[in-house]
Amino acid sequence: MRELTVIEAVRAALTEEMARDPRVIVMGEDVGKLGGVFRATEGLYDRFGAERVIDMPMAETGIAGVAVGMAMRGLRPVAEIQFADFIHAAMDHLVGEAAKIRWRTAGDWSVPMVLRTAYGGGFRGGPYHSQSVEAFYAHAPGLKVVAPSTPADAKGLLLAAIRDPDPVIVLEHKRTYRAIRGPVPDGDVVVPIGKAAIARLGSDVTVLAYGMMLHESLAAAATLAEEGIDVEVVDLRTLLPLDRETILTSLTKTRRLCVVHEDTITMGLGAELCAIAAEAGVLDVPPVRVAMPDIPGIPVDDVLEDAILPNRATIRDALVRLVARERTHGGPRAAYDPAIPQASSTIEVALPEEHLRSALDAVVEACAAFPRFNATFSWSGITEHPDVVVDLDLGTSAPARGGGTITLVDYGRDGADLGVPFVRPDQTAALRIGAVRNGRAYVTCAVDHRAIDGSDVGRFLALFKTALERQRHPDPNLCHPELVEGPPS
Amino acid sequence: MTQVERERAYRALSLARALDERMWRLARAGRAHFAVPCSGHEAIGAGYALALQPGLDWVSPHYRDLAALLVLGMEPRDVMLCFFSRPSDPNAAGRQPYAHFGSRRLHVLSQQGPQPNHCSHGVGCAWGSKILNDGSVSVIAFGDGGAQKGEVHESMNLAAVHRLPCIFVVHRNGWTQSVKREDEYATETLVARAAGYSMPGIAVDGADIEAMVAATKEAAERARGGGGPTLIDAHCVRFLPNTSNDDDTRYRDRSALEANFATGDPLVRARGLVDAAFAKRVDDENAAAAQEAADWAEAQPLGDPTTVMEHAYA
Repeated sequence: MRELTVIEAVRAALTEEMARDPRVIVMGEDVGKLGGVFRATEGLYDRFGAERVIDMPMAETGIAGVAVGMAMRGLRPVAEIQFADFIHAAMDHLVGEAAKIRWRTAGDWSVPMVLRTAYGGGFRGGPYHSQSVEAFYAHAPGLKVVAPSTPADAKGLLLAAIRDPDPVIVLEHKRTYRAIRGPVPDGDVVVPIGKAAIARLGSDVTVLAYGMMLHESLAAAATLAEEGIDVEVVDLRTLLPLDRETILTSLTKTRRLCVVHEDTITMGLGAELCAIAAEAGVLDVPPVRVAMPDIPGIPVDDVLEDAILPNRATIRDALVRLVARERTHGGPRAAYDPAIPQASSTIEVALPEEHLRSALDAVVEACAAFPRFNATFSWSGITEHPDVVVDLDLGTSAPARGGGTITLVDYGRDGADLGVPFVRPDQTAALRIGAVRNGRAYVTCAVDHRAIDGSDVGRFLALFKTALERQRHPDPNLCHPELVEGPPS
Repeated sequence: MTQVERERAYRALSLARALDERMWRLARAGRAHFAVPCSGHEAIGAGYALALQPGLDWVSPHYRDLAALLVLGMEPRDVMLCFFSRPSDPNAAGRQPYAHFGSRRLHVLSQQGPQPNHCSHGVGCAWGSKILNDGSVSVIAFGDGGAQKGEVHESMNLAAVHRLPCIFVVHRNGWTQSVKREDEYATETLVARAAGYSMPGIAVDGADIEAMVAATKEAAERARGGGGPTLIDAHCVRFLPNTSNDDDTRYRDRSALEANFATGDPLVRARGLVDAAFAKRVDDENAAAAQEAADWAEAQPLGDPTTVMEHAYA
């Protein structure tokens, strides 16, 4: 474990990967003898030579287009666009070409390229050296977009990006380059693309952030902790594809959302994140976005720039207001209604420690195979369905919502072996997974006996067990697992 | 060229013309979405493809380079699968319109809509040849309309600076869909641009298959020897409208154009290189092959909507 700054971590990733894989080519403006204007490529030219560390002319279209061609040819180009503000000349090759080539050839061609660029304000760069560009590229299916915030992620995500078989844009916040220092694991530690991280555990409100705004959000959360407000901060790390599971798991717990980004607010990433939360029905109060106002550029003047970029004070204020809002949904409700006649059954299943996603999938599959439950949905992942809600209930005290729901309660590794749930008002059924002991657990299902016959519960559980124990395919939406566990042979 | 090579060239030109005419009629009859004619351009694509080493060299073709694809090994049925946008099309699996060629097997980079974005892809491919040091060269072909885009400038400049093993081939037909040459560039030809990048330029009669083969061989030999890129400026006549969606009577005088057909037709010119009976027999065989390929491809199944998400990953 070493203490590095973000820029040192980027440099370490490039150096190690170029040494490991001769196909890796670094190219961009000033990346050679100068070592890049931010020194991300310092030392590479001397070590690997001009053929693999290529100083390019001021030609962003060509840089991106040549990288596409090199990648199609079998190299692993890592192109640098010096400032994200200059990336738009390359957009046709990124969105129009790199993102589409695998799909448009049904896999005959692929584009394993990386494009790194420095983005973000806060250092008096003015309108053309400060912009955030993530929304343009996170809107392009076929690209992957990562935005590391810590030195460990800057290295681990860059390694993952270079080894990914498809194009990845790596957005590096230039203020983090030297301001953020932290531990970086030794050796070949890859951070998977598509996985967010909980940067701070909390229970009252969830902040979704990345880049320098992650650190500002953590600072705001630390201040609020002294005031008794418990903020959970999620470091998104990958902006496309978003880690919906981590996001919604956090929001299901806190039921309050604040998105923070430096990018301008309208059509920004916050809009999508709020939509995900709204569609999943996990919020008790309307969400809040802390973002730059809709101004064409970031002004260079110190006072003006500071006035428009989010910071720990504006984030703190937004969170205080958010937490003060009365919950419009959920809240205390009747936990037990003696008028509901209950029927329940229990089954034992083989179950790994990490099982939430497969358990949810198994509920869906079992319901689909059971027309009498009238649960006519086809669903995968934690998303809302307009007719039937699968209510992801992670704690015994979390309230259930909506009519006709199945609440899945997971006791987790420290829970009891067997708990018989009861059906609360607004629910049709409740499913409880007991603690996993030696790879096995008890699952108990209770139903409203007026709606579902007791014998159907047993059959449903049998279907659930079959579905759960079947070997599942890895999630295709996440990155390629074989590429994040270690270097290719 | 030897007589065997001339006959091979004639077969490719004749087959491209037969397929082109068949596709044009089918598109005009509403049987397929889109045709991109190559009539008048055939000798450029066939010429450069005949000069390359199959299986070693790489091509980023112009969308009028059907003849190149045929020389490189694409079969008439595959051309027609592309034309009818069938999922079994090896170029684009029914996901791109006709003429967006591409085949890893044939070393043809996947082609795109916005012209000529493939120029820098071809340069990147040639850069790969240099780094991998495998002795291959890349042909990068585009139209004189596309040549006016900054993409081409950046590509030619990078290739020249790094002496990359590539050959830029411009199809100079004088039209960018409806816009005439005088409104696109101020020079009569484009070959002089080569000097601006410090690379050799060769002006070629693009209807002359032997001249195209010779020019490409010269350029390929230079590229393989480390001498860097070459620009080949190949003049040709676009016999037909830009695409099946175009009506060229709105912007050009067809009768004046057709006066050029006799001298500008690469197929007529190539008939002078082969025996007349051979040419007649090949033309008849190719007309039948085009018909057979079209009938067969049109009967192939359309796409399955459950497959549209395949290869979409983010």
